[in-house]
Amino acid sequence: MTVLVTGSNGFLGAALVERLVHHRVEGIRCFVREGSDRSRLELLRQRYPHAKIQYYVGTLSRREDAPGAVRGVDTIYHLAAALSGAPADMFLNTVVATKNLLEAVATENPRVQVVHVSSFSVYGVADLPAGHTVDENTPLERHPERRDPYAFVKWHQEKVLKEYQRRLGFPLLILRPGVIYGPRGSAISGRVGLQLGGIFLHLGGSNLLPLSYVDNCAEAIVHCAMRKEPGISIYNVHDDHLPTSREYLRAYRKRVKRLRCLPVPYPLLRLVSKGVEWYHDYSRGQLPAIFTPYKSANLWKGNRFDNGKLKSAGWRQIVPTAEGMRRTFDYFREKEY
Amino acid sequence: MGCGQIADGHISEIRKLDNAEVVAVCDQENLMAMQATSRHGVPACYDDFGEMLRKETPDVVHITTPPQAHLLLARAALDAGCHIYVEKPFTPKYRETVELISYAERKNLKLTIGHIYLFDPPALALRELVKEGVIGDPVHVESFYGYNLAGPFGRAILGDGSHWVHRLPGKLLQNNIDHLLNKVAEFITDERPRIQVHGEVRRTIRFGDVRDTMPDELRLMILGESVSAYATFSSHIKPAAHFLRLYGTRNIAHADFVARTVTLEREPTLPSALGRLLPAFDMGRQYRREGWKNVRRFLRSDFHFFAGMHTLIARFYDSILNDAPPPIPHRDIARIGWMMDEIFRQLESSTGAS
Repeated sequence: MTVLVTGSNGFLGAALVERLVHHRVEGIRCFVREGSDRSRLELLRQRYPHAKIQYYVGTLSRREDAPGAVRGVDTIYHLAAALSGAPADMFLNTVVATKNLLEAVATENPRVQVVHVSSFSVYGVADLPAGHTVDENTPLERHPERRDPYAFVKWHQEKVLKEYQRRLGFPLLILRPGVIYGPRGSAISGRVGLQLGGIFLHLGGSNLLPLSYVDNCAEAIVHCAMRKEPGISIYNVHDDHLPTSREYLRAYRKRVKRLRCLPVPYPLLRLVSKGVEWYHDYSRGQLPAIFTPYKSANLWKGNRFDNGKLKSAGWRQIVPTAEGMRRTFDYFREKEY
Repeated sequence: MGCGQIADGHISEIRKLDNAEVVAVCDQENLMAMQATSRHGVPACYDDFGEMLRKETPDVVHITTPPQAHLLLARAALDAGCHIYVEKPFTPKYRETVELISYAERKNLKLTIGHIYLFDPPALALRELVKEGVIGDPVHVESFYGYNLAGPFGRAILGDGSHWVHRLPGKLLQNNIDHLLNKVAEFITDERPRIQVHGEVRRTIRFGDVRDTMPDELRLMILGESVSAYATFSSHIKPAAHFLRLYGTRNIAHADFVARTVTLEREPTLPSALGRLLPAFDMGRQYRREGWKNVRRFLRSDFHFFAGMHTLIARFYDSILNDAPPPIPHRDIARIGWMMDEIFRQLESSTGAS
């Protein structure tokens, strides 16, 4: 069995490659850009000298690089996505890149299984009541253009994948993780809050944080892919025993470093968001609309989460949440000092 | 036409004008056109330029594609009777620049280039000082443009050896030094000034392909009949400054395009030690005045990132409506095109880098 992993040298990608090795996948073809940092993958090659971890060098933003990458593989794990940058560039490097990959699938390997790592951000929870439980039946975002660029591109990426699946009929597995965290990831999710100057705005209050420790997330991806379900199957991915935003932040401050925090309760955040949106429109974009009532409701109104479907499929959390947080905070503390 | 990063700026700035509306966007990749429509609420999107021109019959076309496509698209737009705003760099080669300018002139249609910093508030203020005679006669110009290779565009270039920037004769430099040269060309008005070039690759070589030969530092000495200039492009000097110093027979002006300030260094009016004591206070007073000027602009919602682009577009549209000369003389566009050819020719012969 040979698989292709896009975004393989990223934070989640490297963890996924390691889980694939654990599951004794014979050939792992890692799609990497020319000159990209492959240190995480190199480490795995040293740690598992018998694993067949190979590089396929190219870029998905170049249509002609994709056919060779997808030829002869049984499964494509598609993790590549832009996490930051200008909105148009993020779209190009995520959505158009996905289209290029799928065009190659259409010509070279139309029956291949495609495993796509999406995001919770594709759900549209702004209009749902606070405390609504997010599961696979939660409606998708109706106004992606009103969300941040990352949510916008992930929503369109899923849309393109579903369109090609309908046309070609390949098995499509979509995993929607919550907040993927771990050593070498990002220390604090935007769902907890944002750093503004020297002050950390704590926006998440007592909302549950849908954490997914990077190894648990990678395990969920491989586990679900091995079920080989036909058609489109969708799973939300997060761990059990979720902390609240406040508990996570408290633990971070205790174990990593002190932060000057300003808690912003949701009603106040909503008011501020209205003001920011008004000023953005009034000043014709002099300051960016980083907060709008719509964006804030999606991220900070507060939801509950259900990973029942993932567990029914047989996934088990391999790293307990407390242990995952401990490893993460140890890493960041070491980095600090 | 072309829905990449800079197109967002164009759409936003056009929509702030009362005398124009964006009727359509176009990109050969239909998903890119769609995303621009979706995020900006533009009424129509196309992936076929000819179809867009036929159906929408726009008055003006903004060409925001990679420069290799500028000539072809611009000619098609001119053939359709549209005025054109072409992003910098205008075309990859000087002869194409001349060809395009001639073509627009033969069609009697307006044309401009995205030299936005010529219309940023510091550039406008400096031009006023020159006009009022505060600087005296220009003697020398120092133009500095710092570039952050770790920024989103820099990362995109370094992350992809097939990026269109690597296919330009002057690579990264060609995509940026319009911002150096257009400020120089305003004061050195010679048709063919003498140019001395030094370029180098300062960053660590690591790709083993075309990216390793991309110069990221450039020093120029440009000598006109009566005015000389130093021009610096740097990807390593931090912070990434962006300024113009104009040395005149009466005063020296410093226009800072990052802080959006213009200050003057004047002859001391007092003798001896007192003359050395006062300039620092004078400079402090000037910066305070410039700071408050910016605060007032901010309060008037007149302190946008693309202030220069906004003014340039407004003036270009006014020139169309009033059949007046365009805001950037065609001669300057052509001269800058020639300077670029000359710079990259010298770089190629001296280092083989181009």
